[in-house]
Amino acid sequence: MISRRSVTLRHIGLWIGIFFALYPVVWIISASVNPVDNLAASRLIPEGLTLDNYRGLFDDPLVPFRDWLINSWKISLAGAIGNLALAALAAYSFSRLRFRGRRAGLLGLLLVQVFPQFLGFIAIFFTLQAIGEVAPGFGLDTHAGLLLVYLGGAIGFNTYLIKGFMDTVPISLDEAAKVDGASPALIFWRVILPLTRPVLGVIFIITFVGLYGELLLASVLLRSAENFTLAMGLQQFSLSEYAAKWGALSAAAILGSAPIVATFLVAQKQIVGGLTQGGVKG
Amino acid sequence: MAEIHFDGVGKIYPGGTRAITDVSFEIHDGEFVVLVGPSGCGKSTLLRMVAGLEEITEGEIRIGDRVVNDVPPKDRDIAMVFQNYALYPHMTVYDNMAFGLKLRKFSKDEIERRVQEAARVLEITEYLQRKPKALSGGQRQRVAMGRAIVREPSAFLMDEPLSNLDAKLRVQMRSELGLLHARLKTTTMYVTHDQVEAMTLGDRVAVIRKGVLQQVDAPQELYKNPANLFVAGFIGSPAMNFIGGSVSGGHFDYGAGKLPVTRDIAAGSGRVVAGIRPEHFFVPEGELHPDQGMEAEVGLVEQLGSDALVHFEIDVAPVLTPDIRELLEDAGEDASSLGEKTKMVARVDPLAAPRPGDRMVLGVESDKMHFFSEDTGEVI
Ligand SMILES: Nc1ncnc2c1ncn2[C@@H]1O[C@H](COP(=O)(O)OP(=O)(O)O)[C@@H](O)[C@H]1O
Ligand SMILES: [Mg+2]
Repeated sequence: MISRRSVTLRHIGLWIGIFFALYPVVWIISASVNPVDNLAASRLIPEGLTLDNYRGLFDDPLVPFRDWLINSWKISLAGAIGNLALAALAAYSFSRLRFRGRRAGLLGLLLVQVFPQFLGFIAIFFTLQAIGEVAPGFGLDTHAGLLLVYLGGAIGFNTYLIKGFMDTVPISLDEAAKVDGASPALIFWRVILPLTRPVLGVIFIITFVGLYGELLLASVLLRSAENFTLAMGLQQFSLSEYAAKWGALSAAAILGSAPIVATFLVAQKQIVGGLTQGGVKG
Repeated sequence: MAEIHFDGVGKIYPGGTRAITDVSFEIHDGEFVVLVGPSGCGKSTLLRMVAGLEEITEGEIRIGDRVVNDVPPKDRDIAMVFQNYALYPHMTVYDNMAFGLKLRKFSKDEIERRVQEAARVLEITEYLQRKPKALSGGQRQRVAMGRAIVREPSAFLMDEPLSNLDAKLRVQMRSELGLLHARLKTTTMYVTHDQVEAMTLGDRVAVIRKGVLQQVDAPQELYKNPANLFVAGFIGSPAMNFIGGSVSGGHFDYGAGKLPVTRDIAAGSGRVVAGIRPEHFFVPEGELHPDQGMEAEVGLVEQLGSDALVHFEIDVAPVLTPDIRELLEDAGEDASSLGEKTKMVARVDPLAAPRPGDRMVLGVESDKMHFFSEDTGEVI
């Protein structure tokens, strides 16, 4: 039996936690709808209600907010899909095929992952520059180039995660499909992939969110304002004379993060489940 | 419909493990052949070589007239039932059965017809829209069978398909499997380590030991005329009793006594092992001359109703050959648990059964005894 007292205590603890977590959120929401547009004047309870800050974002010619938003979605979506496709294929090979260098490859993937990508900034920069001389579409200041770097980024870890999941799918399912007449490609598509879906969903979301908020690589590789991602744009935003426009900045931050928050709220159950369950239940 | 030929088939796994040695026999068209042997003897390996899931490293396997050594599984026209059923968890029962047909580009109508027909035969029609995880073990087993049946292949390959069921269901599914085969008459290769299953299901039974085929014969033939000590001890429950001794002057001398040998066994063939099936003992009505029976110290008596199992000991050290050692291991026992005396089991008339603790002479139908060479285990 849990006593009433300890329940009450827990509730108090909970509310304190919620307060700490939500305080900045409420603050920034209130700032975004506050007609008084400066940091000093902003407070938790806004002095009025206005959507001007939001509207302003889309008709300031100096700040291509709309482009940034589209860029971010485009890059994160393509990056997450590409990442997932590559990682799933690699995981399938590591889980199901027996080839020379399999163990070494698996270990290598993990080892490489240990070094954060920004250690290679200079190398990445010059590599993209060199690529750009041959294939301008993939050079510096292009989204394709940035994607190329992103794709290399998280594959190792994701491959590992997906492989672990695929290993829980009994090999006899592959064999049954083989006898049923499926080629390796079909086995991958029709049997393994559907069974791996929970973890693929999770990895997709995590990768998407990670890329959406990625700032370091983007700011090294992208130059022109219309190519910026939202994260980059907001950072520039906060450094420029716009920093004074606290309301606009807040509105931009909310518009940028709302979809992510929504996704998490909708998918949180699957995320937890996907990371812990195996491929074949019951 | 097709026969399956094994011609000098051998298997060495990539790591160097030899699993199968020089297996040659054939499964006739429409025949139900059971592969039986202790765990790890290579039954699954042989089956999987027919399926195309393991490379054939030596010899040749033919299905019909075609050598299939280099034919991929999907083109061998076989269907397999796996021990763990290997149902696709994300597909409904219907889709599980239809999957192979879809891949083979059958028309929707034909798929529907075949799946419905198989479901009707297996009595799983009401579960067609369920996922496998919403089925009981027995139902999953039926779906696995259904997936094989709808393909209408030239041969079924089954790897211990009943071993995941509880005892009662296993007996039930066993007889259904028998009926199903009587109806479809599809060539079937069936793997099990359960000799009762082998004896009841097989048109013929192939006994394998350590990757070597010991004997292929009809169940009764296997039981009556085992080719060697291993087969003799493996087939039959309770198992055949073994005693070491020697044959001379028309008698088998086992140390504590003698038994008449009616058959012509070359005297001086050295040490032999005699095998006596439990049912070839009897409780004599009057006094019996010791040379017509065995001095028994009765232990446990199991009344089974139709007959009684009498466990007894005779005053001779147990015989231990490599074959017997292996049979013991397969039964989960150990040579060190044998003790000083030879333990035996007799199956006798329940009304005449002795009481525990009795000392008596148990009669032996000595003309039904088997003799094996102690060195090679081959039948004499
Ligand atoms: N993939 C493999 N690699 C190496 N050895 C194997 C492999 N599969 C089975 N074996 C070995 O081959 C022998 C026969 O195995 P198996 O055919 O599975 O036996 P059974 O089905 O009769 O229990 C065993 O000794 C087993 O350890
Ligand atoms: Mg096996």
